[in-house]
Amino acid sequence: MFFNPSMKHKALRKALRMFAETEIGPMARDIDRNATFPWEIVEKMRPLDLFGLQAPKAFGGADMDSISYAIVIEEISRVSAAIGLCLAAHNSLSLHPILRWGTEEQKKRFLPEMVRGEKIGAFCMTEAGIGSDVGGVETSATLEENEYVLSGTKIFVTNGGICGTAIVFATTDSHNPREGAAMFIVEKESPGFVVGEKEDLCGMRANPVSSIYLEDCRVPDKNMLGLPGEGVKIGMETINVGRIGIAAQAVGIAQAAFEDAVVYSKARQQFHKSLSSFQSIRNYLADMATDIDAGRLLLYRACAAQDSGNPFREEAAMAKLFCSEMAVRAANKAVQIHGGYGCSKEYDVERYFRDAKVTEIYEGTSEVQRMVISREVLNRRV
Amino acid sequence: MAEKKHGIWVFGDYRNYFQNRVTIQLISRARELARQIDAEVSVVVLGSGIDEFVKEYIAHGAERIYLTDNPRLAEYSMETYSFLMERLARREKPEIILIGATSFGREFAPHVAKRLGTGLTADCIGLDIDESGLLLQRAPSFGGKLLAEVTIPERRPQMATVHPGIFQELPHDSTRTADIVNVPMPENMPPDRIRIISKERRPLKQEKNLECAKIVVCGGRGMGSKKKFAKLYELAAMLGGEVGATRPVVSLDWADREALVGQAGKQIRPDILFSFGISGAMQHTASINNARFIIAVNKNPNAPIMKMADVAIVADASQICNSLISELKRRIRG
Amino acid sequence: MLKLVVCIKQVPQVSELPWDPDTGRLQRELASGIMNPACRFALEAALKIKDKIGARITAITMGPLSAEEVLREAIALGADRGILLTDRKMAGSDTYTTSFTISKAIQKNIPEFDLILCGASTSDSATAQVGPQLAEELDIPGIAYVNEMEIAGSKARVRRMADDFFETIELELPGLVTINASGAVPRYTSMRGFQAAFAESDIITLDSVSLGLSHEWIGAKGSAAKIRRVYSPTAGKENVVLTGTTKRILDQLFMLFDDRIGGMIGKDLKTDKS
Repeated sequence: MFFNPSMKHKALRKALRMFAETEIGPMARDIDRNATFPWEIVEKMRPLDLFGLQAPKAFGGADMDSISYAIVIEEISRVSAAIGLCLAAHNSLSLHPILRWGTEEQKKRFLPEMVRGEKIGAFCMTEAGIGSDVGGVETSATLEENEYVLSGTKIFVTNGGICGTAIVFATTDSHNPREGAAMFIVEKESPGFVVGEKEDLCGMRANPVSSIYLEDCRVPDKNMLGLPGEGVKIGMETINVGRIGIAAQAVGIAQAAFEDAVVYSKARQQFHKSLSSFQSIRNYLADMATDIDAGRLLLYRACAAQDSGNPFREEAAMAKLFCSEMAVRAANKAVQIHGGYGCSKEYDVERYFRDAKVTEIYEGTSEVQRMVISREVLNRRV
Repeated sequence: MAEKKHGIWVFGDYRNYFQNRVTIQLISRARELARQIDAEVSVVVLGSGIDEFVKEYIAHGAERIYLTDNPRLAEYSMETYSFLMERLARREKPEIILIGATSFGREFAPHVAKRLGTGLTADCIGLDIDESGLLLQRAPSFGGKLLAEVTIPERRPQMATVHPGIFQELPHDSTRTADIVNVPMPENMPPDRIRIISKERRPLKQEKNLECAKIVVCGGRGMGSKKKFAKLYELAAMLGGEVGATRPVVSLDWADREALVGQAGKQIRPDILFSFGISGAMQHTASINNARFIIAVNKNPNAPIMKMADVAIVADASQICNSLISELKRRIRG
Repeated sequence: MLKLVVCIKQVPQVSELPWDPDTGRLQRELASGIMNPACRFALEAALKIKDKIGARITAITMGPLSAEEVLREAIALGADRGILLTDRKMAGSDTYTTSFTISKAIQKNIPEFDLILCGASTSDSATAQVGPQLAEELDIPGIAYVNEMEIAGSKARVRRMADDFFETIELELPGLVTINASGAVPRYTSMRGFQAAFAESDIITLDSVSLGLSHEWIGAKGSAAKIRRVYSPTAGKENVVLTGTTKRILDQLFMLFDDRIGGMIGKDLKTDKS
């Protein structure tokens, strides 16, 4: 049972916090306001191995345990959730599937550049017609000699605007899309791979979430990840891993909201007292603190479960569900505590509020998480 | 002058004499402390061709001067000065040695203290004599959040470096006299292992950085107009500081966005902040909390900033700004 | 191979220091420890030398057992090994005993060092004294407040600002420099560096017995300075209100505060000189 962070985890958190506050902090507000992605931060994150957090040393990765991974995402997200999302999507949704299902040849071909951050990963699953219901995938993959021709449109692709290597979910059998579903590794330079328009979202605005058009996009057949028919399995298990990253993001956002609320409530005076003297405000702060701690523990439990090698579907879903809903509660309370200033763009809390909401939706909505958890719960013989 | 047993020594740090008043401030305080322990105040002066400083120190209250005037001491030299100070202190056995906390002083003092095997308190902001006749030193830590009262009960001399601007100097009085003790350079000086290759005067204000500025002049709507606000730049230049502005001022285009001090702008932590015509809305005051000393000028005595300030001046901001500029022109020497 | 020693202190993170301005109580035990910022710059200076001409860097710290964390961090950044000086009897040291204790450890473990690098000052006690006193203990030349430096053969060439003077100074080695926390941001720790430093590291732990130090000479017992009382200055912040004519206001302002203001702006504000 883990209740006290190790010296390594403590030191890691401090180091990441210092990096995030110094390098990302000053620009966090502007990149959100202008919805611009700061490439200069990528250049600063690359030498720190942030693009290969859990990749093996043989490929130049840091081979970190999952709690360390979560701490990295938490601390980056605490300063800018959009940048935290960039790292989470790259590490969990793009690097991970190649590591887990890739052949040795595929790993050698794709991993080094991704681990070095020279190519940023993006996971292309969602389509106009498929959100939670992945079995209805329409993007087709037709075999022509030794190439697959991919045709379709992917939307809401995190890192879409900056990706170098994409993991694309398509089907080889339009009549039975679920049975024929497969995953493909598609490099940006592939003919017919077109990065489309950027979404104008309420939260995570600095992340270049875009559409990806596959216009008869040709990829070598040896770019298929796993076997034909394994697409849904790979997709679902990848998203499951991704849940840990999202939960970590949510904890980071909640932490930032909480800290700002504490500072403000001590500084602001009304009725000749600081806000923090009033019991109703104290209750909010107590709730936030408890909530965040609970979320963190669920998150780290999911991390430990992942590292144990056993299935961790339920733990990951619980962590994602709880942490995202908790982040929304915390950010909401933080805005409330700030009063009028909470609605002002002069302060950061309204950004946390918008960013938190997104965590309840992507990589499996809260409804889907409840589906997963209830299925596990009902399967158990009580 | 009657022979007094113990001495309080002040190191004569004469570089930048007109800006650097700490030695004469310490002479003044040393005299007050000396009365309480029946001691004499001496100033140790090491250099070459330094008669004018010797005269200044006597005029400002030194009772005795230990003087080593030698061409070899034309520039401050850490190793040579440490050697000479140690030698003199071992010979004369002062009770207390005070050194101004200039960069030189803060480096010099620990060398001397270690050589003499004694204690040293850094950057004191208060000195007294306690009930047992010990030097009671008050020094800050954690960036000033905490103060400690320190004594050096057993070792001698008791040593302290003292922050400039804490004590008031005695007025210059050329009728004062003092003993001048010439201390010749010894023959057996060890060679210097440190060589100064070049040295150039570079007054500190290099970067125009509001966040690091030690002196800030902030203006708000109470200044009245863009033209009147512009005078703040003149005031800041005289003080060697930077100009900050509030959000209304920036949106009125009286100042650049870069000058914004507030929630959406810069956080400042100056030693001294002059706040002109600012009421003190939350977004602004949260960013000036770490200013050490605040002088606020506002027509409204109840404006929030007036409660935060160390000095609250109830007057028209622009008028005070202009008069302050004239007054400073009159007073600043050097 | 050049032998560098970097002295590092673990200090409480001031921004999160549990602080009660009413009682003046500082709960140091609760604040997490970080590598003192200036020490980080000192380590960076050593790492730059190592990158350029090669060196073996030993990081050394004196503190409680938790101070091991800063040694691990130093190794993650590129130091080769660490020495932790820890002993209950070392607690309460002033700069005199701190420099004494560290000098003994250096003499015992890295006797043939070329250069010692320290942070100019710490964010907690901010005395800036340990560096110069360590140089005295080891009888080596020392320069404080260095901004940039290079090693050239058996000498170090440094540049620094002190009291409005910009100096270029040459120092014979073995020597000591203290480095300012200013200039280019020091490198951040890579994740691979982190993993390696916490997996397997060359860190030795020494106490007063292994250093052969008598208790009379270390810690609070050996310290020359004794702290009588610690308190908060904020209780009782003056709030002086000045009113009246402009002339009267300015006269009062300068009468009460000319030394304060003059001291802070570095100018002499008296007019009544003969």
